[in-house]
Amino acid sequence: MKKIVLIFAVCLMAAGEMNAQQLTGRDIVQKVKDRPDGNTRYGEMELTLKKKNGSTRQRKVTSWAMDEGKDTKKMMFFTYPGDVKGTGFLTWDYDQIGKEDAKWLYLPAMKKTRRISGSSSKTDYFMGTDFTYDDMGSRHVDEDHHKLLREEMKNGYKCWVVESVPVDKHEIYSRKVSWIRQDCLIAAYVEYYDKLNKLHRVLTTSDIKKVQGFWTIHKMEMKNVQTEHSTMIVVKNSQYDIKIDKALFTVAKLEKGL
Amino acid sequence: MKSAFIFMAFLWCALPRPVIAQDEDSLRVGVKGFVDTYHAVRTEQPNDWMSSRTRVRGEVSVEKGHAGAFVSANLVYNAILKERTGFQLREAYAYYSDQHWDLRAGRQIVVWGVADGLRLTDVISPMDYTEFLAQDYDDIRIPVGGLRLRYSHEKWSLEAVAVPVSSFFELPTDTENPWSVGAIPINNEPSHKLCNMEYGARLSFYLSGIDFSFSALHTWNKMPVVCNGRGDYRRMTMLGADLSVPVGKFVVRGELAEYLDEAQSANGVKDMPRAASTNALIGIDWYAGNDWSLSAQYAHKYVAWGEHRNTGLATFRLSKELLHNTLTLQSFAYVDVTNGGIYNRLSGDYALNDQLHAIVGYDYFHADRGMFTVYDKNSEVFLKLKYSF
Repeated sequence: MKKIVLIFAVCLMAAGEMNAQQLTGRDIVQKVKDRPDGNTRYGEMELTLKKKNGSTRQRKVTSWAMDEGKDTKKMMFFTYPGDVKGTGFLTWDYDQIGKEDAKWLYLPAMKKTRRISGSSSKTDYFMGTDFTYDDMGSRHVDEDHHKLLREEMKNGYKCWVVESVPVDKHEIYSRKVSWIRQDCLIAAYVEYYDKLNKLHRVLTTSDIKKVQGFWTIHKMEMKNVQTEHSTMIVVKNSQYDIKIDKALFTVAKLEKGL
Repeated sequence: MKSAFIFMAFLWCALPRPVIAQDEDSLRVGVKGFVDTYHAVRTEQPNDWMSSRTRVRGEVSVEKGHAGAFVSANLVYNAILKERTGFQLREAYAYYSDQHWDLRAGRQIVVWGVADGLRLTDVISPMDYTEFLAQDYDDIRIPVGGLRLRYSHEKWSLEAVAVPVSSFFELPTDTENPWSVGAIPINNEPSHKLCNMEYGARLSFYLSGIDFSFSALHTWNKMPVVCNGRGDYRRMTMLGADLSVPVGKFVVRGELAEYLDEAQSANGVKDMPRAASTNALIGIDWYAGNDWSLSAQYAHKYVAWGEHRNTGLATFRLSKELLHNTLTLQSFAYVDVTNGGIYNRLSGDYALNDQLHAIVGYDYFHADRGMFTVYDKNSEVFLKLKYSF
């Protein structure tokens, strides 16, 4: 009997070791990136910016996305407030490292589309929120070195804790630590550290549910712990695998508007 | 009375209402607009009011299936330029748009090219210079009555334009206007005949590393050309090309336009001289990060006639977003390279809340010669409040 227990324990240890050996930090981040999310997507987002004194501002956007192989095309329009209503972004995100994304900005007041830089805005904050363009988009897995630190429970869910250090030293954070839920492959909590390795921003995701069989984040809050400014994003009316024509992701449609 | 009725109907339409439905076959109504008030005072003697106007802008779109209509109009009270008070219809067009085709018929603003604040290939919609450039650039464009048909594919589009009812520059020739360029007599605009129609096309490509276009337009010199002390309009043909190339944090822009048979200013001649001119622009935008952006452009014009064949105009723009994009500081300058003049608009735009913006600024003019000379004493401070809905 003692022998059987010992064999069982050895097997368990071996399995655990094999699991640890098989799953590197990069593997986990790649799994997160590869999480099924349909070939096309639609969503409406309400962004609420909150100052330390409690005053708030709001932005609303509507967006569509379509995968083309490993690349993704996105169209996004502001619907609120009035001064930016109708402003649109068209993005062709390329998976290949080194290939610049193609981006266009349509300004309805000027009746004009501008070609904008595909690389510079990634580390800028998106429309005054606490999310960078990089946070809002899909960062390439190999733009960071990833290390699996440990496994632990977070908010009642079993998570992998992964540290990611940017390859490019010009990024706005020195490292980030993500608690990735093992059940749905979504980061439940992320800490971003600044260049001095001080905690800078904290992302908390919640209200994670399946929509049409795809795991979907319905709420995410990014808080700058240094300034106490925060941004809450509420995602509404998420839809997957909707019928969208490729023609939606063109400059002509950007100028046509919603 | 008629315009008041139209405006009441317009206001009724402009009342904010939700979009009725999202599915394609139902009627969808979109409404947006703003109320703004703008006041400017000269910083030099006699420190008089340069502008004082308040307006309501409403934009309404109605769409069902692939077809729809768009109307944009202003109701203005102008305390300085009384004749500008009243109802102003801006755009009013019907459209049909499907996956590839887009047809617009009616009064519309057509924008071509990649230049900012400078017109090389962008010669369809003229400019309202009633208050020179001391207005928002988007307010300055004048719509034209025409037909625009565009076929778009994933990476290219072809646009054809026909303008039977041309519009022309509006110039401040009233000497009571602080922005007056003087009482220049101007001949009548060309009559609305089929033979006076403007027509042209633009072929554009949007690729992963470059955008470029080719354009051609049989048009008019829409800014009256002064010959023997009198302004007039003549036919000309524009052949143009433009490109935008993103390179890291920069975007390089360029435009080239050849104006064939362009009318030229002259005095003491029997007939208005005509000659080709070559117009070239190079510009660079720097998205420097941390919400800074810088832009510089240089445009050169060469006329194959007369004594002053070369002229140059440059622009510089510097802007910075602060306080989570609630405060925007900007400087936009035109520099008359040929004559050494400058017009610089410095502004600060603060969002008091989601709907209300307060903008303060200073327009600085300095010129001893050239296009800004007439405004050398027009430096001003301004205040604008804008409520968007």
